[in-house]
Amino acid sequence: MEEDDLILRSKEGDLDAFNRLVEKYQRQVYNLALRMLGKAPAAEDATQEALLSAFKGIGGFRGGNFRAWLLRITANACRDQMRFWRRRPVVSLDALVIEPEGDAQSPEDYALRRELGDEIAKALAALPADQRLAVILYDIEGLSYEEIALVMTSSLGTVRSRLSRGRARLRLYLEPRMELLP
Amino acid sequence: MFKPKSECQKVKGMLSPYIDHQLTSSEQGVVEAHLERCQACQRELESLQAVVNLVHRVTMVSPPRSFAIAEAVPKWRAVPVAVFSAATAVAVLFLAFFFVSDALNLFASEVPVGVEERLGETGLLAEPSPDMAGGASDVAEAGYETVENWPFWQLEVAFSVLVVILGAMTLIWWLKRRKVMERG
Repeated sequence: MEEDDLILRSKEGDLDAFNRLVEKYQRQVYNLALRMLGKAPAAEDATQEALLSAFKGIGGFRGGNFRAWLLRITANACRDQMRFWRRRPVVSLDALVIEPEGDAQSPEDYALRRELGDEIAKALAALPADQRLAVILYDIEGLSYEEIALVMTSSLGTVRSRLSRGRARLRLYLEPRMELLP
Repeated sequence: MFKPKSECQKVKGMLSPYIDHQLTSSEQGVVEAHLERCQACQRELESLQAVVNLVHRVTMVSPPRSFAIAEAVPKWRAVPVAVFSAATAVAVLFLAFFFVSDALNLFASEVPVGVEERLGETGLLAEPSPDMAGGASDVAEAGYETVENWPFWQLEVAFSVLVVILGAMTLIWWLKRRKVMERG
């Protein structure tokens, strides 16, 4: 079934149709939340909140890019989670562990990929939220500048500048560690 | 003092969109012409490109579970939260009103000193006694005292308890609804 039909049926309250959309996008939603928040439990909460908000608010979706609309809701849910976690005791950067994925990894390969993931997670955590969002959406999730502008409700110039500043900061953090990384 | 950006600074600001092929053709021309004659910016580009390549190697992970919504959150579960939170808000407003009125003596009246005691003794002031003939001058000497017409103390305690109970009910129902939504 076409995405437009699923959206239309979801607007009429058809949960099965909406869950087909969830199935299609939950990987991107969860990964955005995971990279934004750096913690799997917080990412699960943000993903669930975002998808529920999307189901409740789908009546307000006026067409256009559904993925960008859904990721905008996810980014907002992440902001709520960040506010929630800011009020909690500070989590050590060591907690920002994201298990790498891949088929038939050797233990060495797994360790190297995990090390890479850890370093990038720490570097991302050090970025301001808007720059982190731009870097994740472009460099990890593969959205275009135009889609990111829709997610951030900002201009292309703003996207360009946030991505540029975010990468410059990542470089400052990662460059001294580059030789140690796989 | 305002210092104009050097060409290197301008070009460094354009390296990220240059990597992504997001510059206009004229901007791209400026960057490429500069890179041909500036080794520092070339190194900057190589270094930035290496970081971008590194971040591109980050893989997407699979969600640990399905986030499909099992059932729509029953609407009736939203009702108690709304009702209790509205009731709490109203009770808080009343409580604030009582505190302010009490503090500013908004509903108090000024009565001559001693009138209350006399009312207490005689019950009424209907028949002026000979003693009362000189009352005006007594009052002028003794002055007035403030008497509360509303039982503020009791009202404040009662509404404080009410606010606590309603607040707790709101919290309990909100947590219940959240649990259902998370299960969903």
